[in-house]
Amino acid sequence: MDWTAFALSLKLAFWTCVLILPVGVVAGRALAWGQFRGKALLEALILLPLVLPPTVLGYYLLVGFAPGSALGRLFASLFGAPLVFSFSGILVASLIANLPFAIQPLERAFEAIPPAVREAAWVSGLSNWRTFLKIELPLAWPGLVSGLALTFAHTLGEFGVILMIGGNIPGETQTLSIALYDRVQAFRNWEAGAMAAVLLAFSFLAIAIVHVMARRRPWLHG
Amino acid sequence: MQILRRGILASVITLFWAPGLGRAAEEPVVAAASDLQFALAEIRALFAAQTGRDVRLAFGSSGNIARQIRSGAPIELFLSADESHVLALARDGLTEGEGVIYALGRIVIIVPHGSPLEADGSLEDLKAALARGRVEKFAIANPEHAPYGQRAKEVLIRKDLWSALEGKLVLGENVSQAAQFATSGAAQGGIIAHSLALSPDVGRRGTFALIPADWHTPLRQRMVLVKGAGSVAREFFELVRGPGGRAILKRYGFTLPGEPG
Amino acid sequence: MGEVSARCALEVRLLAARPVPLDVMLTCRSTELLALVGPSGAGKTTVLRAIAGLLRPSAGLVAVDGETWFSSESGVFVPPQARRVGLVFQDYALFPHLSALDNVAIALGSGLEPDPRRKAKSLLARVRLEGLEERRPAELSGGERQRVALARALAREPRVLLLDEPFSAVDRGTRERLKRELRILRESLEIPIVLVTHDIDEALALADRLSVLDHGTTIASGAPDEVRSRPSSPAVARLMGHANVFDGLVEAAAGEGGPGRIRWRGTALVAGATGRFSKGERVTWLIGPENVALLKPGDRAGEAPENGIDGILTELLGASDQMIAAVRVGEGSDALLQFRIAAREARRLGLAPGTPVTVSLLSDAIHLMAPER
Repeated sequence: MDWTAFALSLKLAFWTCVLILPVGVVAGRALAWGQFRGKALLEALILLPLVLPPTVLGYYLLVGFAPGSALGRLFASLFGAPLVFSFSGILVASLIANLPFAIQPLERAFEAIPPAVREAAWVSGLSNWRTFLKIELPLAWPGLVSGLALTFAHTLGEFGVILMIGGNIPGETQTLSIALYDRVQAFRNWEAGAMAAVLLAFSFLAIAIVHVMARRRPWLHG
Repeated sequence: MQILRRGILASVITLFWAPGLGRAAEEPVVAAASDLQFALAEIRALFAAQTGRDVRLAFGSSGNIARQIRSGAPIELFLSADESHVLALARDGLTEGEGVIYALGRIVIIVPHGSPLEADGSLEDLKAALARGRVEKFAIANPEHAPYGQRAKEVLIRKDLWSALEGKLVLGENVSQAAQFATSGAAQGGIIAHSLALSPDVGRRGTFALIPADWHTPLRQRMVLVKGAGSVAREFFELVRGPGGRAILKRYGFTLPGEPG
Repeated sequence: MGEVSARCALEVRLLAARPVPLDVMLTCRSTELLALVGPSGAGKTTVLRAIAGLLRPSAGLVAVDGETWFSSESGVFVPPQARRVGLVFQDYALFPHLSALDNVAIALGSGLEPDPRRKAKSLLARVRLEGLEERRPAELSGGERQRVALARALAREPRVLLLDEPFSAVDRGTRERLKRELRILRESLEIPIVLVTHDIDEALALADRLSVLDHGTTIASGAPDEVRSRPSSPAVARLMGHANVFDGLVEAAAGEGGPGRIRWRGTALVAGATGRFSKGERVTWLIGPENVALLKPGDRAGEAPENGIDGILTELLGASDQMIAAVRVGEGSDALLQFRIAAREARRLGLAPGTPVTVSLLSDAIHLMAPER
């Protein structure tokens, strides 16, 4: 078992979840209730990573954030390291790849809140912010947990894009799934087996959480 | 309860907050061609025993590693399987000079147990087996960016087997993956690095034979410090070219510079 | 208009093209209950939403106690949070994740109330929900939910109470009980109440005043009895559920040296009042079914005390006590006069479809309206 790779995967999944959470809440809410021009296009763009080959995303990130390019220089000046072959790089890739996993369940959850319930909150004197905190967020809670569980598991399993822009550097970009691939090449099958088992367990756990949350409406019970 | 929860959250955040920033300097990334998979692991252990320091090893094809260095990957020392990639980097001013040749590589034909092929370094048996249709899959490293793949391609062309093998070749991302493919049993054999064949993990899966060194361009394996490399990477560089490193490399079938092949 | 403003607690004028076309004018005094009736899609709920501030009409005015909440003229639009209105939504829109107590307490939580939970508890007691404070909406019956919604609406000490079809989501028995409770609750409320309903009987039973809305336009308003028995137009008559609506011709206006008379299907009917209509004018007239009486068998039209009419009984509907009967007037005509009859009486007389009958129309109950174009 490669604990460095395991810790790195957890770190990547943790930060992806932390950073994608506000994006998912804001975007999911806007898509659920907002009526604006280009909404359909935006929804399609967010869903794109679901079907896009990870290598395509990897390619565009490699090209777009190449050290010589404008974006690449901007990124390096912001984070002190180039995007490619660095932890911040795979974090950016992971955030993009996980947009649909985080936003979709939240969008569905916000959609399920009847408009009258929000209006009832306003009429009861709750400011928009308090309505969000006290009414919308608790009601969207199962969607939020599902989104985070999916994002977490998917990040642990992300492979193609991380291999392309991360380049298999131990402690920096060699996540558990990359290390697994690496160990198979190095003929260290039992190590690979341990990693595979860990990834399997996490994926199963995530699906179980999503499944339970999909049925769960805690306010229906006492 | 609340305090406990906040404490846990805080420690998780500190635990995860950009570790490796401090570590990266202390444990430099040493990127090496995959033929060094086993030899370099031993050298690393020796390094740790001698200096109490560690490096992070990243293996891949030499072409891919060179590309990563060009893209700014945090690699401090590069051990290539040939010299063209190192010299190209040096020309572009990315390295500290041209580095040194640390070994000369050899290629072998390896066949897994139970294969209809024989481990025949003259490749005559391969030719006969191909003629009789006994070969379905044959593994080499990707000649596009893996030096061992290029040398395999050279000898196959030289023996007029390249076109006959077309459609049957399985390309490994690097020579280590090619070895994995060649010995998995799904292929009838492959051409891989001598150093890999000599490792117990690979060796027990099949038999191999050396292919004559003068059938291909020499694998002059060059290593170089990338600009900005720290002291640990330098020490490691010195260990590889020093007697300790040489002894290990020799055991893995490398011919050493200054010594007769 | 100034006089009305001074007297009225709630004053609403709305003009809008979307989401439904609106042309509405309402006033409602303190302690008064105004019922807003009309078919579904007439814009009743839209009016409530505009009063609550959930919708901004393109033009108009919403003022309560002289305080302007919305005025297109001066560009004032007070957000719903600052309006202090109590709104009971059609399906109550309770917060499903909160207990009954918290549903009410959260409406008190803007900082003004020192002990929101205690106040919420007393509000729940006021709507007779003691002991159910910790239940979530899903664990309450329809009637209990309605009461929670009412308690929540009252929590902010609203300056106007808006009820959107508050009895539509409960069974009949609960509905009657809730109506009774609303009547009692009203005694203690010194604010205007606007009740939206599509049920005329409900409006008649509860309201002090009625406002009829059709296609977003106020087409009648006034005292419930007045609006119902003397509708201003055939459209209002239809919305009020009148079936006996017919076309006729004024033969003599009332007060010109005799009673008014209208000609209908060859018969001259005496009408107590002919209003602004004069001789020779075409009119639409109606009579409530309660003012149509069945004569004894054998009595002919000429023997009737008032407006006797012969016909054939064509329908007898309803089972238990009160039945609705329809009489076809004239051979092959489609004019059906409806009247009510006790089921026992109908049985005693052996009434059945096909029986020839004679009915009498109370002349004072005949109401004339301008015909629809």
